[in-house]
Amino acid sequence: MATLARPLPEEKGKRVMRPNIATADVQLPAVRDYEQVDREIIGTLHPTVAWFMGLGVAIFFLLIGIAAWCYQIYSGVGVAGYNPPVMWGVYIITFVFWIGIGHAGTLISAILYLFRAGFRTTIYRCAEAMTVFAVMTAGLFPILHLGRPWKFFYLIPYPNWRYIWPQFKSPLIWDVFAILTYLTISSTFLYVGLVPDIAVLRDRETNPVRKRMLSVLSLGWRNSDREWRHFARAYLFLAALSTPLVLSVHSVVSFDFAMALTPGWHTTIFPPYFVAGAIFSGLGMVFTIIIPLRRFFGLKHYVTINHLDAAAKLALFTSLIVGCAYMSEWFVAWFSGSEFEKAFFANRIWGQWWWASAILYTCNMVLPLSLFSQRLRRNPTWLFMLSLTINIGMWFERFVIVVPSLSHEFEPWQWTSYRPTWVDYSILAGSFGWFSMWFMLFIKQLPVIAISEVKEIIPPKLRRRHEHGIDASGHHLEFEPSTPGEYD
Amino acid sequence: MPGVIGAFHELDAAVHAIEELKQKRLGEVTVYTPTPRHELEHAIGAGPSPVRRFTLIGGFCGATFGYWIATWISDYWPLVVGGKAIASWVPYTIFGFEMMVLIGGLSTVVGLFINSRVPRLTMTVGYDPRFSHGDYGVWVECTPADAVTAESVLRESGAVEVRSER
Repeated sequence: MATLARPLPEEKGKRVMRPNIATADVQLPAVRDYEQVDREIIGTLHPTVAWFMGLGVAIFFLLIGIAAWCYQIYSGVGVAGYNPPVMWGVYIITFVFWIGIGHAGTLISAILYLFRAGFRTTIYRCAEAMTVFAVMTAGLFPILHLGRPWKFFYLIPYPNWRYIWPQFKSPLIWDVFAILTYLTISSTFLYVGLVPDIAVLRDRETNPVRKRMLSVLSLGWRNSDREWRHFARAYLFLAALSTPLVLSVHSVVSFDFAMALTPGWHTTIFPPYFVAGAIFSGLGMVFTIIIPLRRFFGLKHYVTINHLDAAAKLALFTSLIVGCAYMSEWFVAWFSGSEFEKAFFANRIWGQWWWASAILYTCNMVLPLSLFSQRLRRNPTWLFMLSLTINIGMWFERFVIVVPSLSHEFEPWQWTSYRPTWVDYSILAGSFGWFSMWFMLFIKQLPVIAISEVKEIIPPKLRRRHEHGIDASGHHLEFEPSTPGEYD
Repeated sequence: MPGVIGAFHELDAAVHAIEELKQKRLGEVTVYTPTPRHELEHAIGAGPSPVRRFTLIGGFCGATFGYWIATWISDYWPLVVGGKAIASWVPYTIFGFEMMVLIGGLSTVVGLFINSRVPRLTMTVGYDPRFSHGDYGVWVECTPADAVTAESVLRESGAVEVRSER
């Protein structure tokens, strides 16, 4: 709700009548009026055969993961390929991967909101839902990694008959607090933003049962000026609270590694390195989701090429930060004079895991450089393919952090290898199934584009008609139907 | 409270009606709008939202609780490591921060609910589903004696539909 958070300056004795968009870089000339917004976005909610098939595939993968987990509970964690000293593997890698995916959602919905980046308007709802489902997925992995997963509540500080409390100096407890806070605030942020849109659905719904459910979910929202005024302020504060939260959560996750003395982990660069990597990977997933969605839902005139271009610039920027962090790691290992660090980094690049490092550097450092080309930034097919490589590259980044360090610690007699088993792969596939299932259900129950925010950037009906376009200072421009990228 | 509701297709017409109604001091004016607009906000002239106080108090309480729970538990169940403090404020800042965000965020939502008067179990008198789509609704609370004046103001301002409700 960009509108009320930063009111326009009032001119003395004169009311300024102009559309109230905060930035000039978003235009949707193919969207003419509010009725069209309602019709087209609500129109995406009707289930189709392709959607049922997609949901079926997601549930199938989820069932594979559940079956593997049941087998693991019956047989013990050993079936997941863990052998000392490599006691962290696919589960922790995937945990960090999914937490990272969530970060771009908060970046787009909260941080870009505070920065008044107009291109977020049509993509933030998807990104925000992605965050919630990604954190829900990530939260499962520490539990999956437990030999007795039903004891996970030992991590929560509560009065108990054993008089035992968690160790508050352990990064694992920091994780519990950080992730539960992140999940709660992300879900709250998503839901609060959805309330006005659920009210729109409620008012158009004809099925009485569904209308009743939507009435409850919309909390009786009626679009009054009082509601909007407090809503805008609450939304702003939630964004302001989410912004440092997103930076803290992955910093805390990085402490799981950085607090240990293991070579390759014990470094102060980890918090910013993890945060930048998380945002980069999340942007990759945003492209993976939003590009097919805009095509299959016929929303190309909402999520325009200009929006993708702007998001691609952000991905390029975070890729450069991540690349800089990789090079800093090498430099620090060399400059530290520590034989262990130097040996470890040599092993990372030329040792047994060279192929994983090669995938990581190619996908995260080299291929994203293509985004310096405007032509490629504005090519959805390329962006989609690149996003898949980013997802793969970022998973391997975590692999390279976790496995080579544990398998190549201080004592040479401890050096070993690690091979994931079918249980690991099945649970990894199951996590994608779990995430996809929730996302598929979301896109057919609730609007994937924020209806009320899109309406903010559509010129309102006025008695004295004049066409709209806005310059950087908020003044009217001549309507320009052929803005490049708006119809592609 | 009885009143009159006017539905408008155009934003500037709704703004004009609000200004006229406020000038005539007929009663409290409420506007229904599909999306927030500065023009309407200026015409209504409401003060700043008190939601920020909920955020501040919630955040402060959360931070205090985060530090307190970590310190109290460390003291109650000490895990003594030679040369290390039993309660160390540096790592406990994580708990202070996380609880500040958690309680501050949830308090913000509570502030939104209290000030907006939601959840609402019944629909407000005068509300119309059109107001969530594209039309603007201007509701003025007034006595039956003032209703005629209010109706004429709304009609003259360009309302497409005007009706008295109670």
